[in-house]
Amino acid sequence: MKTENVTVYSPDRILKIGLVAVWKELFLSLLKSRELIWRLFLRDFSAKYRQSLLGVLWAVLNPLITVGIFVFLNKSGVFNIGSIDVPYPAFALVGLTVWALFATGLTVSSNSIVAAGAMVTKINFPKSSLVIASMGQAVVEFMVRLCLTIIVFVIYGIVPAWTAVLLPLAAIPVFLLTLGMGFFLALLTGIFRDTVHVVVLFTTFLLFLVPVLYPIPDSGLFAAVNAFNPLSHLIVGFRDLVFLGKLSSPAGYFGSCLFSLVVFLFFWRFFQIVEPKIAERV
Amino acid sequence: MENTVIKAENVSKKYCRSLKHVMLYGVHDIARNTLGLSSQSERLRDGEFWAVDDVSFEVKRGETLGIIGPNGSGKSTMLKLINGIFMPDKGRIEIKGRVGALIEVGAGFHPMLNGRENIYVNGAILGMSKKEIDKKFDEIVDFADIGEFIDAPVKHYSSGMVVRLGFAIAVHCEPDILLVDEVLAVGDVGFQNKCFNKVGELRKKGVTTILVSHNMHIISAFTINALVLNNSRATYFDSVVDAIKEYTNIFIDKQDSDIEKVCNGTDGIKFFDVAIDRRIFKPGESFVFSAKYEASVDYSDTEIDVGIYCGGDSSLYFQANNKAYNQRIDIKKGIHSLKITIKDIRINNAVAKIGIAIWAKDRTNLLFWWRIPVEFKGVDHSTGRNFLNLLYEIGD
Repeated sequence: MKTENVTVYSPDRILKIGLVAVWKELFLSLLKSRELIWRLFLRDFSAKYRQSLLGVLWAVLNPLITVGIFVFLNKSGVFNIGSIDVPYPAFALVGLTVWALFATGLTVSSNSIVAAGAMVTKINFPKSSLVIASMGQAVVEFMVRLCLTIIVFVIYGIVPAWTAVLLPLAAIPVFLLTLGMGFFLALLTGIFRDTVHVVVLFTTFLLFLVPVLYPIPDSGLFAAVNAFNPLSHLIVGFRDLVFLGKLSSPAGYFGSCLFSLVVFLFFWRFFQIVEPKIAERV
Repeated sequence: MENTVIKAENVSKKYCRSLKHVMLYGVHDIARNTLGLSSQSERLRDGEFWAVDDVSFEVKRGETLGIIGPNGSGKSTMLKLINGIFMPDKGRIEIKGRVGALIEVGAGFHPMLNGRENIYVNGAILGMSKKEIDKKFDEIVDFADIGEFIDAPVKHYSSGMVVRLGFAIAVHCEPDILLVDEVLAVGDVGFQNKCFNKVGELRKKGVTTILVSHNMHIISAFTINALVLNNSRATYFDSVVDAIKEYTNIFIDKQDSDIEKVCNGTDGIKFFDVAIDRRIFKPGESFVFSAKYEASVDYSDTEIDVGIYCGGDSSLYFQANNKAYNQRIDIKKGIHSLKITIKDIRINNAVAKIGIAIWAKDRTNLLFWWRIPVEFKGVDHSTGRNFLNLLYEIGD
């Protein structure tokens, strides 16, 4: 006879099992659901471009048009970013590449549980898989933009600093920060549908507040605000690795990495606490 | 204890009526839990009520438990608790092995993806690995039997096809425990039989089954013990016959003991001196209905329906019709009498209604319709199950 897992359902079980067991359970369930996460990602990815003429081409067109608009605004003098040493399209694309990971990630992950619909209330499965799998779309967009960036670099004949090979590593804290916030926002959307609108507003606003499309000014209120914004540090750090070859503010950068990790771990655990209540609250 | 697969101890679950309270309490509970405090789920707050209240039962390996009860008595909530979709607010549930739920099959389907892709996605959601699905894939496709639609996006499926595919995936994930909600009622007769066979096959393999249905015929044919839910509370019965008796008893108070005279005749015909020989039956006894009528016109080739209805929603249990037996009944002008006999009814302990309806040719006009509350008492020990008696002879 095969060995059978015994499952126990009781109120507040997750609060009673102790700290070590909590994290063990989190990692084990992540390990167990990796196949589900992959399937859900494939599902989202292949369903997204069905019944569309251009299909996957949209993944390339979107960032091209976004960058095109900012290049146009810059060229026509509407949007003045001050002086930079590199051609603006290359500068903007690097920023928009890492930005995509955050903005797309935040939008899709906060919507992931509500978008799953009846599945959440009818089937018992690890709901965190939905949030993690949705981040896959952001990773795809990130990689598409990265390829675009490489092409633009080749066209302009720009040679990036050697530290650019560390970019995949530098994407990790951005990913964790986004996923952490995504865990929280996905649950919040489950309770308050308003969250979706707030997230869209928030990311649009943030695109201009965070130095994605322009360098941080050396002084002034803006510089001060950005000094305390972990996302700014992560994006500037990402760009430094391409253009500068070193981090302009190592303390701020690594501090922000640590902050991202803490945000991720906290909300991952938070999600675990709330997970049993999702089906009845959504 | 060794063989107990499902063990529910004093399980309770509360619901909230208003959406505003759901949001408020949701935030409140989450905030408490985040601070490491209990959500104090055992207390009822304003607007909350117990949907399942203090329910305990055990199911042993290979057993089939029926759950019956009126609408809104907590059956579906109980299934969701066993399935782990909801956490109990009080008490605990212990489950051994993998649970396969035929509750809302096909809930995880993505409308844009085709059947093949959805088998993999849904399989993964139900906890199957890719290897398992690869191995079972042909079997699933075979069982669903939806032909070339397997390559069409699910949004083009008929509702029957969705259920077929969903059911096929769910039963092939090798569950140790199978939860079956009313789903078997969907799909055509051919597929229903296939489903019952499959469920039977799994039971033979030692799969523990929980069956929820309003159809006492299905419950009586498939289960041995049953849980009767009423007003969120449960009573456990070792014998499904007693359970069905209890279930039908629930409706006694609600059921008007008076005869419902839905239709007593029309302009062309009047019924009088209507009599029923008995209102309480033992298994094997017969029911005789007699009446006189005065018709001012001829009603040739009428149809007479006799139905037995059980449960609060008075769902049809058995029905007989003269056309089905190729019996022609003509009602002639003038005063005549009519007698209808239903022989040898074998229904165990139940409260029911016998309905008699008389229709003009081709059911264009209802001439008569009474529903008569009756009670079946006792158990037919030769089968222990409910059946209409089938009289037949086999010659050489």
